[in-house]
Amino acid sequence: MALNRETSGNRWRIRPDGPGKVTGGLAYLTDLSAPNMLHGLVLRSPHAHARIAEVRTEEALALPGVHAVLTHADVPGLNRFGIAHPDHPVFCEERVRFVGDAVAAVAADSAELAMEALARIEVDYEYLPVVSDPELAMREDAPQLHERGNIQHRNDYVRGDVEAAFAASAHIVEDTYETPRQMHTYMETEGGLFVPEADGRLTVYSATQHGLMDRMQLARILARPEADIRIVSSPIGGSFGGKDELNVQPYGALLALACGRPVKLHNNRFESVRAGLKRHPMRITMKTGVDAGGKLLAHRVRIVSDAGPYSTLSAEVLNFAVEHTLGAYRYEAVEVRSFCVFTNNGMSGEFRGFGGNQALFALEGQLDRLADKLGIDPWELRRRNLRQRGDPGPFEQPIAQTDGARQVWEALPASRLWLERAEAAAAAEAAPAAPTASAAPAAPLGMTPDADLRSASSGTAEAATLQLPWLKIGYGASFVMHGAGLGVGIPDPAGGRLTLAPDGKIEAAFGYEEFGQGLIASLEQMLIEKFGFAGSDLRLVVGDTDAVPDSGSSTASRATSMMWQALERMREPFAHSLLQVASRVLVLPKERLRIGEGGVCDAASGERLLAYRELAQSAAEPIACETSFSYPASPVERVGAHYLYTYCSVGVKVEVNTLTGRVRVLDQFHAVAAGPVVNPQGFLGQIEGGASMALGFTLTEDAVMNSGMYLTRNLDSYLVPTIAEQRGRVEVLPIEELPDGDAHGPRGIGEVGSVGLAPAIAQAVFNAVGKRVSKLPIDPAELQEVPDIVKEGSCPV
Amino acid sequence: MIDKLAAKQADAKLQCEINGSPVTLETPPTRKLLQILRDDLGLTGTKRSCEIGRCGACMVLIDGKPVNSCLTMAYQCTGKSITTIEGLAPEGGLHPVQQCFLEEGGYQCGYCTPGMIVSVTSLLERSPKPSMEEIEEALSGNLCRCTGYGGILRSISRAIERGGMAHEG
Repeated sequence: MALNRETSGNRWRIRPDGPGKVTGGLAYLTDLSAPNMLHGLVLRSPHAHARIAEVRTEEALALPGVHAVLTHADVPGLNRFGIAHPDHPVFCEERVRFVGDAVAAVAADSAELAMEALARIEVDYEYLPVVSDPELAMREDAPQLHERGNIQHRNDYVRGDVEAAFAASAHIVEDTYETPRQMHTYMETEGGLFVPEADGRLTVYSATQHGLMDRMQLARILARPEADIRIVSSPIGGSFGGKDELNVQPYGALLALACGRPVKLHNNRFESVRAGLKRHPMRITMKTGVDAGGKLLAHRVRIVSDAGPYSTLSAEVLNFAVEHTLGAYRYEAVEVRSFCVFTNNGMSGEFRGFGGNQALFALEGQLDRLADKLGIDPWELRRRNLRQRGDPGPFEQPIAQTDGARQVWEALPASRLWLERAEAAAAAEAAPAAPTASAAPAAPLGMTPDADLRSASSGTAEAATLQLPWLKIGYGASFVMHGAGLGVGIPDPAGGRLTLAPDGKIEAAFGYEEFGQGLIASLEQMLIEKFGFAGSDLRLVVGDTDAVPDSGSSTASRATSMMWQALERMREPFAHSLLQVASRVLVLPKERLRIGEGGVCDAASGERLLAYRELAQSAAEPIACETSFSYPASPVERVGAHYLYTYCSVGVKVEVNTLTGRVRVLDQFHAVAAGPVVNPQGFLGQIEGGASMALGFTLTEDAVMNSGMYLTRNLDSYLVPTIAEQRGRVEVLPIEELPDGDAHGPRGIGEVGSVGLAPAIAQAVFNAVGKRVSKLPIDPAELQEVPDIVKEGSCPV
Repeated sequence: MIDKLAAKQADAKLQCEINGSPVTLETPPTRKLLQILRDDLGLTGTKRSCEIGRCGACMVLIDGKPVNSCLTMAYQCTGKSITTIEGLAPEGGLHPVQQCFLEEGGYQCGYCTPGMIVSVTSLLERSPKPSMEEIEEALSGNLCRCTGYGGILRSISRAIERGGMAHEG
């Protein structure tokens, strides 16, 4: 059943953070200010690669109203940061390696004064050769960006005899796929408020995806105990992986401590572009062979990933890409060679999909090309090679078994969109001259009003334009098997705490961040549905290191799964504790009581007997329950191998305008097998939103660089989808069924929606105009055709 | 010269109406309305994002028309009536468009939401039953990175269905 408000019934709930968001009353961390506050700014390198000869700060310091000018000499602890490999300088000492590298920072009475102070800092640079092509960077004679060399990480995976398997293949396809430097484009740029407290502690109000990780890193930079630092990290105006690493925090913290006053930083958009993370541009070459029956025999992959100047989680992203270039299929033999390379380009790092987006674009492209050679339906080729239930994962590692692959495979041909495609194909066969999509759209089942709005209008437009010979319709599909959790070899802790607070609120504390994904809405819904509480009984505590246990990071599509598992673990003991105290107070056997809305109730009648506030006042000791565990991992040595997977099939219908070369996505279908839907509104929003990000990745988004300089500076030249690009229909079908006895519950859905759309669009474009796209975003020039009128020579050329 | 200009600017008075109340501010005539709202008046529901008029996070109504406050200078506000997200409905109440966004989940991170709601409100006041083309045009300057616009379109649909833009509460 398609997921929407109507089919969700009373499980469709208003989010707890909704009222503050629609009224503008919710204060984001960049909305905060404090009395006596200073404004901070960072001086960043104007060069992609240069030696720093000298930095002179005297003139800036002399400016009245400037309270601090800091450089690397002012960092008391480690002058580096980075979650996995701290090699990113807080302030560069002798060398800058990209146009976002920080050299100095200032704090002043106003933002204007701070800007003036930056202009008065003099830095002498000596230019160094810029390394901007990762292939060239790998050569021995290339300028080396780090002592360890330019190859930050390589990851090979070889299984079977791939040469012999190619020799036995009936058909082989080979192509090189290139993907763009996609920008997260969170609407709220990086920033926050940094407050030195009267007791000597420092409070950091700034966005992150793992507050405790920020605390550890800041303690290391500031040379202070972690206990002296409090990180408040929610709410956040979007992150998508982009605020996972430290960004403004080191500068805000150092300036605030240096001045003994609150300091605010808030990046303008260009500063966010130049200093912020991007999705790794990857060049993936694949050679894949099948036998005459369409069985995959050989798969050879070479990945070159542009890491930019510092490590971030580039190695981990590469490991993820390696796993997902194998994906959901079985092969006789595989050989993956992959490289992650330092360059003087922009910073690459964590981004929703984590290397899966690039990998799937290539892998699914191969399947489509092979099906073409074999002359069979691409979806049938996938069926012949899909992992079956019981099969191991891509690295042959044990995985939690589900029927997800089969379920989503079957869902596509049964979808409204694919039935329409079949009708269109039949109609085209009957009347070959007619446009391929002349069939009227089937009546939508259970569609939401927006779908009516979209289809009513775009349907009319479609009908009016369908006859135009330069508009071509095509359908395409892709298959996704996406891992969640951090994978083998990386600590992946989880946990949470439930407390009956003295004021009678049930307090649920988790060390996660709310950046829009709907985490606290999911937490609230689980507490209501699992325990029987009312929303008004609850206090949800996230994003504050002083108040939360270690739950691990809000990344890798893991947080909702881990909250679900934590609540499963705490349900019995916490309910037991509440009812035991209630039983004593009420002098009634525990069996006659249950948890209810507003308080403990009579199990039979449901009548409320004891409000939680009274219960809290009666308890001799606080009633609390805490759990600590880890994200489930596969028992293998292969670093990055996953254990829990989400499966997804994606179908699209596109229209290609061969005069302009522009592609419009008219219709999308997503089947997502991820176990039970925790929060229907959030689930739908994650898939729709992820798909929109994928649409931009495929059609318009690229932060363009030339010799290490950003040509893209703001949203006038970086084109994220607007409502006009999103007027097509989107249908989301969750498949909730899990095998009996499955203990893992809901799988991750935060990223998977952003992965499958690109290859599906590429295949739809091929079906519309017969051209293979292997570079994203799709260049309209590649799809433009010379109009007949020109070809016939009636116009002088 | 610069000092003189600065002195002259600092003397300038802005008189306008913000969310129904008369406001008099001493502010340089070139100061951006976005800064005046957020930094001088503490109306932080109006958001800072691209500051070049592309994203719409800072959208406000000036005499009922949607305007990017990042592109509007103080002198352009003289004598005008400015409505921010905080002034769309009476204190404690919700505008019907806000109510529809709330019910349909027309937001995720919420950072674009005030600007989006301001633009939708203005559209529906001009055209209570807009076509998809009108919606597209009216929201062409409002970017949302989280929702893919699905929830936003559902919210607009619901608001159209309900008709009547009268304030509640």
